[in-house]
Amino acid sequence: MREKFKKHIGYYISLIAILSFGLILIFLTRSNILMQSFAILLTVAFYIFWGLLHHLLNHELTLRIVVEYILIGALGISILFFMLTGGL
Amino acid sequence: MKNFLHHLFLPKESNNYRPGLLQHKFLLALTLFFFSAGLMLSFVKTNFPSVLGSFSNISNQELLILTNQQRQNNNLGPLTDNQELDAAAANKAADMFGKDYWAHNAPDGTTPWVFIKGAGYNYVYAGENLARGFTNAQDVITAWMNSPEHRKNVLSPNYQNVGFAVETGKLSGEDTVLVVEMLGSMSFASAPVPSEPKNPVQVAVAAGSPTVKAVTANVPAPIQAPVVAAKVQNQNIITTPTSQELLGVNSIIKPFINSQTLALNLAKIIIFGFILVLISDMIIIERKKIVRFVGHNLDHVIFFSLILIIVLILVKGVII
Repeated sequence: MREKFKKHIGYYISLIAILSFGLILIFLTRSNILMQSFAILLTVAFYIFWGLLHHLLNHELTLRIVVEYILIGALGISILFFMLTGGL
Repeated sequence: MKNFLHHLFLPKESNNYRPGLLQHKFLLALTLFFFSAGLMLSFVKTNFPSVLGSFSNISNQELLILTNQQRQNNNLGPLTDNQELDAAAANKAADMFGKDYWAHNAPDGTTPWVFIKGAGYNYVYAGENLARGFTNAQDVITAWMNSPEHRKNVLSPNYQNVGFAVETGKLSGEDTVLVVEMLGSMSFASAPVPSEPKNPVQVAVAAGSPTVKAVTANVPAPIQAPVVAAKVQNQNIITTPTSQELLGVNSIIKPFINSQTLALNLAKIIIFGFILVLISDMIIIERKKIVRFVGHNLDHVIFFSLILIIVLILVKGVII
């Protein structure tokens, strides 16, 4: 597991960096719900794109994986939609 | 039951070595559930506010006590509650809900000083702090004290009076609790001019007073204020509300269930559940040396951690 992690360390660091940037954007736009929603969508889109790109570069991208990343991203958005519409 | 839980949470032969929770069908079902649950909660909140809605435990009295505690800790005199400033704060909150904005100045250019003057409070110094989405008074005061500009307002020696309004309503379609704090002073006598230049979030120094020039020389920041104050003298846009109007503004229906607590707890349980299942799946598959073509679990763990942080940011209040 460690070897695998070491092999992909650059990818994980870049993923965390992208998501952290998205998080800062979401935090900065918190007084404007429309801008914040856009920042959330952008961050999730980057997550899906980055994950799929990584699989593509490792020659292990399949339709099943594409669907998985899209569904995980959609689940994340649905949880935030649930919070924004019903929870606040 | 045990087998079903194993099937749902752990990789095994019966689920093709991928926990049921992480399979496409379940992910899709959960996504649809959250979208429909969000719409349903929104519907119930709008149509049955006595059952479900957002409410806060913030009271004007508690805000006053906590504000004065902060001033006392900094060797400053206490502020006294002022009915005109309370009315100005209530009018400001009602204006924000009515015109659907969240700012010190309304989209039509109405400044906080209009509300203060309109409520009958003839200030020589005035300031405004705003907070949104908080559920208790301590968090509001802590947030203001942690922001240098708001802190200057709370701890300004120029102010003698304060007024608060805590109102619930909809902003940009979102149920929220607004806290408005209006600070002011009607005389220079017991309001010493600070030695350092001040630049609080919203501060006004009234024009028209014969001593204004001397004061503004020591207070360089509030450039727009004199213009605003002059405007107010010519047009009293907001009138002091009657007791009935105030009662109407302040009447808050306390719902049976707090929607924020409900949604936050449900979101937390699901996110933590997913993170746990992803980590356990990753460890078990690695130990059993099973080869699968699926997404990287660590990617999803990082992603769900991000979603959890965003959820916590969403429920945290905002100040301006």
